[in-house]
Amino acid sequence: MEPLTWTGALGPVLTPLMMAAVALFLLALVANWGLSLAGAKSGEIAYENGQAVLVSRSPLDYSMMAMKYAILLFLACCLAYIVAGMAIPDPRTKGIIGTVAGRFAPVWIALLVTFALSIWFKRRLGLYGKLFDSGIGMVGFAIVMFWVFAAIFGGPLDLIVTHDPLNQISGLKNEPPGSVVPNAAEDGYYPYYLLGGDNLARDVFSRMVEGAWEVMKIAPFATLFAFMVGITLGLPAGFYGGRLDTFLSFLANLILAFPVILLFYLLVTPEIVETGIPVYMAAVLFLFPIIFVSVMINSRYYTQPGFRTPVLAVVLVVLGWLYLSLVHQSGTKIDFLPAALSGLDLFDIPGGILVVFVAVMFVNSPTVFRIVRGLTMDIKTRDYVAAAQTRGEGVWYIMLWEILPNARGPLIVDFCLRIGYTTILLGTLGFFGLGLPPESPDWGSTINEGRKLLSIYLHPALPPALSLLSLVLGLNLLADGLREESLRD
Amino acid sequence: MGLFFLRRLGVMILTALCLTFIVFFLTNLYPNLEKLAKTQGNMRMTDAEVTQWLDNRGYLQPMPVKYAQWLGVAPGWTREFQQDGQTVVTGRCLDGAVPAAEAAEAPRFCGILQGDWGYSTVFRDSVASIIGTRLGLTGYLMFWVMLLMVPSALLLGVLAGMREGSRTDRTLSTFAITTTATPEYVSGVILIAVFASSAVGLRWFKGTATAAMENPNFENFFLPVLTIALYGMGYIARMTRASMAEVMTAQYIRTARLKGVSFPNIVMKHALRNALIAPFTVIMLQFPWLLNGVVIVETLFNYKGFGWTLVQAAGNNDIELLLAVSVVSVIVVLVTQLISDIGYVYLNPRISVT
Amino acid sequence: MTHPTINGKPVHPAARMYAREFREGKLSRREFLARATSLGVTAAGAYALGGLAQPARATEGARDGGTLRVQMEVRALKDPRTADWSQIANIYRGWLDYLVEYQADGSFKPMLLESWEINEDATEYRLQVRQGVTWNNGDAFTAEDVAHNIRRWCERDVEANSMAARVASLIDDETGLAREGAIEVTGDHELILRPSVPDITLIAGFADYPAAVVHPSYNGENPVDVPIGTGPYLPESHEVGIRSVLVRNPDHSWWGTEVYGGPHLDRIEYIDFGTDPASWLAAAESEEVDMLYESVGEFIEILDAIGWTKSEAVTANTIVIRPNQVAEVEGMRPYEDARVRRALAMAVDNSVCLELGYSGLGTVAENHHVCPIHPEYADIGPAPYDPEGAMALMEEAGMADYEHELVSIDDDWRKNTTDAVAAQLRDAGMNVRRTVLPGSTFWNDWTKFPFSSTNWNMRPLGVQVLALAYRSGEAWNECGYANPEFDSKLAEALSIADADQRREVMAEIEQLLRDDGVIIQPYWRSIYRHYTDQVVGADMHPTFEIHAYKLGLAA
Repeated sequence: MEPLTWTGALGPVLTPLMMAAVALFLLALVANWGLSLAGAKSGEIAYENGQAVLVSRSPLDYSMMAMKYAILLFLACCLAYIVAGMAIPDPRTKGIIGTVAGRFAPVWIALLVTFALSIWFKRRLGLYGKLFDSGIGMVGFAIVMFWVFAAIFGGPLDLIVTHDPLNQISGLKNEPPGSVVPNAAEDGYYPYYLLGGDNLARDVFSRMVEGAWEVMKIAPFATLFAFMVGITLGLPAGFYGGRLDTFLSFLANLILAFPVILLFYLLVTPEIVETGIPVYMAAVLFLFPIIFVSVMINSRYYTQPGFRTPVLAVVLVVLGWLYLSLVHQSGTKIDFLPAALSGLDLFDIPGGILVVFVAVMFVNSPTVFRIVRGLTMDIKTRDYVAAAQTRGEGVWYIMLWEILPNARGPLIVDFCLRIGYTTILLGTLGFFGLGLPPESPDWGSTINEGRKLLSIYLHPALPPALSLLSLVLGLNLLADGLREESLRD
Repeated sequence: MGLFFLRRLGVMILTALCLTFIVFFLTNLYPNLEKLAKTQGNMRMTDAEVTQWLDNRGYLQPMPVKYAQWLGVAPGWTREFQQDGQTVVTGRCLDGAVPAAEAAEAPRFCGILQGDWGYSTVFRDSVASIIGTRLGLTGYLMFWVMLLMVPSALLLGVLAGMREGSRTDRTLSTFAITTTATPEYVSGVILIAVFASSAVGLRWFKGTATAAMENPNFENFFLPVLTIALYGMGYIARMTRASMAEVMTAQYIRTARLKGVSFPNIVMKHALRNALIAPFTVIMLQFPWLLNGVVIVETLFNYKGFGWTLVQAAGNNDIELLLAVSVVSVIVVLVTQLISDIGYVYLNPRISVT
Repeated sequence: MTHPTINGKPVHPAARMYAREFREGKLSRREFLARATSLGVTAAGAYALGGLAQPARATEGARDGGTLRVQMEVRALKDPRTADWSQIANIYRGWLDYLVEYQADGSFKPMLLESWEINEDATEYRLQVRQGVTWNNGDAFTAEDVAHNIRRWCERDVEANSMAARVASLIDDETGLAREGAIEVTGDHELILRPSVPDITLIAGFADYPAAVVHPSYNGENPVDVPIGTGPYLPESHEVGIRSVLVRNPDHSWWGTEVYGGPHLDRIEYIDFGTDPASWLAAAESEEVDMLYESVGEFIEILDAIGWTKSEAVTANTIVIRPNQVAEVEGMRPYEDARVRRALAMAVDNSVCLELGYSGLGTVAENHHVCPIHPEYADIGPAPYDPEGAMALMEEAGMADYEHELVSIDDDWRKNTTDAVAAQLRDAGMNVRRTVLPGSTFWNDWTKFPFSSTNWNMRPLGVQVLALAYRSGEAWNECGYANPEFDSKLAEALSIADADQRREVMAEIEQLLRDDGVIIQPYWRSIYRHYTDQVVGADMHPTFEIHAYKLGLAA
């Protein structure tokens, strides 16, 4: 069998078109620059029915138009690859690009559905709906959701990946993209390594997709938990001020004064894991979500004990159980459940992941604390807070149901940025060989692995690097879009 | 004003004390001490030998006592040995084994307060001299990073914020976001591959900065500087852009425009000073954050500065060196915070420190 | 040289026998040279005996003077006899000499010993100390100095003294010191050693890197602080992790200049570029070094491509993936059962490990740690590979569901090889969790990990490694292997001077190691080093030694 080419049979048609689009774009861009430097103005604008309409076009406008159509042409070609990838069955016809695009079919469909539904109902969806008014926001959202769907379909649902991310196939070490898997039919393998093999002859494409799942498993949740901790402590600090504030702020500044890397080196090494400190930290930090949720419910419904008590009980039992399963790890320092009750232990988080999770959470929460504290101090002077106070609402009600919802805009924006930052941090850990197990396909570790041979083999390191880059970029764009839209309120 | 400084100084000292105690606590946990004994003694020591080794070097005293000794508020430990028929003494304040008479004359206290930063077990040298040299090298690196990063970030931000929403703005903002989305370990790697490896073949620069420690030049120093600067640049640029955009919508700018002041003049004379207040604080607060980048880049480029020392000290559980590293970083963080506060006041006459 | 032996005495009968075997093709060139020279035949004599052409001296064409920059990890120095890294020895090799020197071609070159003579059953060594050697502080070098050093090596109770294992036959078991009468100084420049049992490994042991000869006044301090030695260089500076500089000692005339030529360089700088081979490559590409300590994996190709000279040494260096039989995991000893260990070994195809772990730059090994280049190697066939049988065996031992934690250091080839083993074990149906530790952490506990990989450097004789690594209770016995049968067979092998006779015992020993599933030992590495075309005398050495006096820059 022949190795796959990048573009397959589509190449002769689509490649020239795409090249032409790029050339046209560049040409128009240069022309545009030249013209504006030369002082050309755009054509006359007339107003008809309150709308601006160009009546005569100047060369500058033509260059703009050319750029627009070039981009559209390029996008159309990309779309053609995706559609062809889904429609044509034979990888040899559609090439690597088409095949990869085709493997992502579930993601495209999910994206399409999400966007169609969201735009259809956008007026009813609040801030989320407004996102679809902002171009930047939509692009960011599309990139982020692409990776979210890729992670979900590729990880637990096992749809996109072509090979097991840890499986090594002899003969494919550092082979270029599109390489044929020897004896694939007999061994029941997918017949190609779409993006080539890495230094240990594992499939780069599958590792990239699995890596998305690894990142999605940790980054958003660690950030979410950090937010819970930050909010639970930041609200009272900002609301009450005084000693409590001084003390908590001091603690937050203390953690922030640590260089992050030093903190990681102090927390994530095997020696410290041996002492059980990270497990204890997990035990403490994971308490915060429970406190957060129960206080939230309690403060809202404490006037209706008949409703509150059962709800609170159910929530506490469920969360408590989850908490115990999470914290209890047989064989570590926190191993309190008797063997007879071990059935209660729903799941065990592998030690390496737990440590990383806790460390990342620990590093992020003081910053969140500071933001929440600042916002609370600002919002608590507002009239509606005073109104709630005169109504005789409890302080926690005011904090959680009056102040917090009004601080959501900046918090959501920061949340998006912080997921990106956490993703980068995870990679940093991988770079120093701390934390996640080395075979883990997460992007940080794969980049670190691939960089060693980057000067001869680009293909193992580039896909995870570009993935990480695009996800963080997407999150940044999304945050930008959200910020713009929330400012418009 | 004086009171303000005193309070800040008090907080700074308290923070440094707490932080060093945390580091002290974590590095003095038994598994870490065991690791220290094995890396310094040898890898094949039995448990009894490890205990012996640690005990002989004063590591097994109670934690608060050790910490007080490190601070210099408790007398350093001493141990007496019989060697060749006479009593010799080793101790925290003594250099190797000395006869008892000589030991009696040595100072009893030797900690930070006495100016003694201790001895690095990894580098076999005094901590003060290591920190001095390494900090100097990193300072040099940071100087060039700042020199490259700050002007280009400000320029980028001002250009983008000048006309918010314009194509220039979109292009420059995307560039800024992309650089912040590219962590050092990605950009550094790509830069080395493109500009320093023989595979791509450009070889404009050198992929290692080891020689730059003695003889820095454009060829061996530009890539590390660029790698750090790129990552930090985007953030400052975006802050500048936001602040510039805000200023450009202010009333007085509109008035100036209506008066017919030319656009360049508005930007240069009216908008810039006010737009630079916010970025100033950001730039100052970047210092501690850059420290991270420095660690990665120094490791990647083998530039043996402060960040590299941190990794070595942390990786080998070099207690006194790590403590010194944390003291220095606390000071850097807190001093930059202080400068940023003061600078904020200085640039913005509406606020005063009191 | 007119005499075929280093002391002008008749050639040891065994040496003549080896020469015959070599010519008949029973021995490889390397084995022949190693054995003949360790019996006191000069290298030239050995070449003549074997009918070989004498190789040209590598340092010819070196100019006098110049600075050489070498990439090498710079570690903290310690008492030579306790040194645990070849890198440490390469630095003090500048001012400390050795009694004998192991050569890349497998022969032993007399250094501070002018010659030695071994009786037929290897129970008496007569050593002639080189005349006219002085220490760099002006003292004359005598047989008493040699005796002093050998006695130091015999001090078994000194922490981490790894020389004690090499000279075990000279040590009194009770006192842990040199046995009365084992070392006898018979003249200013002559001494006699009397091992308690026939011991063929002493000369090889004297060539090992911790065996640097120190001045009698040396008391275990950092060698850099008291650089008294017989060698031609002096340390100028030594900064751990950064660099170490040797400079020619202008006030000392080195004995070797007349005998072997050299030293050529004025200055040798060892610069530390960390443990990541990518940064070594970066250093090479940026022309910041002239020579690498070692080139590994894919980087070998790249370095070839940038035009550096490659030097290869075929070695018995290897990697061993071993379960620790006495390690306890959660209250049980998972690897106590030989079936479990055998199952692990059977699930792994050694050639796959070689391909994925080391780019195929070596030869497949057979799970018994005796290399075909060792003189006593017995061919017992390739290691069995049978993943299904392995899983069946694992089930039989009741360990089918056990999750094995496989530990390795974080580097290039050791990690990759271990990853390849992990993947194959998984393929066979076993549960494997991989842990990779950074170098600074890994070595803390390397002997205690329940299941991990370690690299082993070569020793000239197969029995040497077996004695160091698999004898019951040895410091480096990381497998926790304790088998009296193995111990007694090994003792027997150690007393047989003739490799052919030894081979019969070795076959049994090898089979024993394999049956007990002691190790998975996938391959023997060839090792490589690259340097610029300006460097001469820097050939790769099988035990990574860098001989400062041979190095030079091309004229």
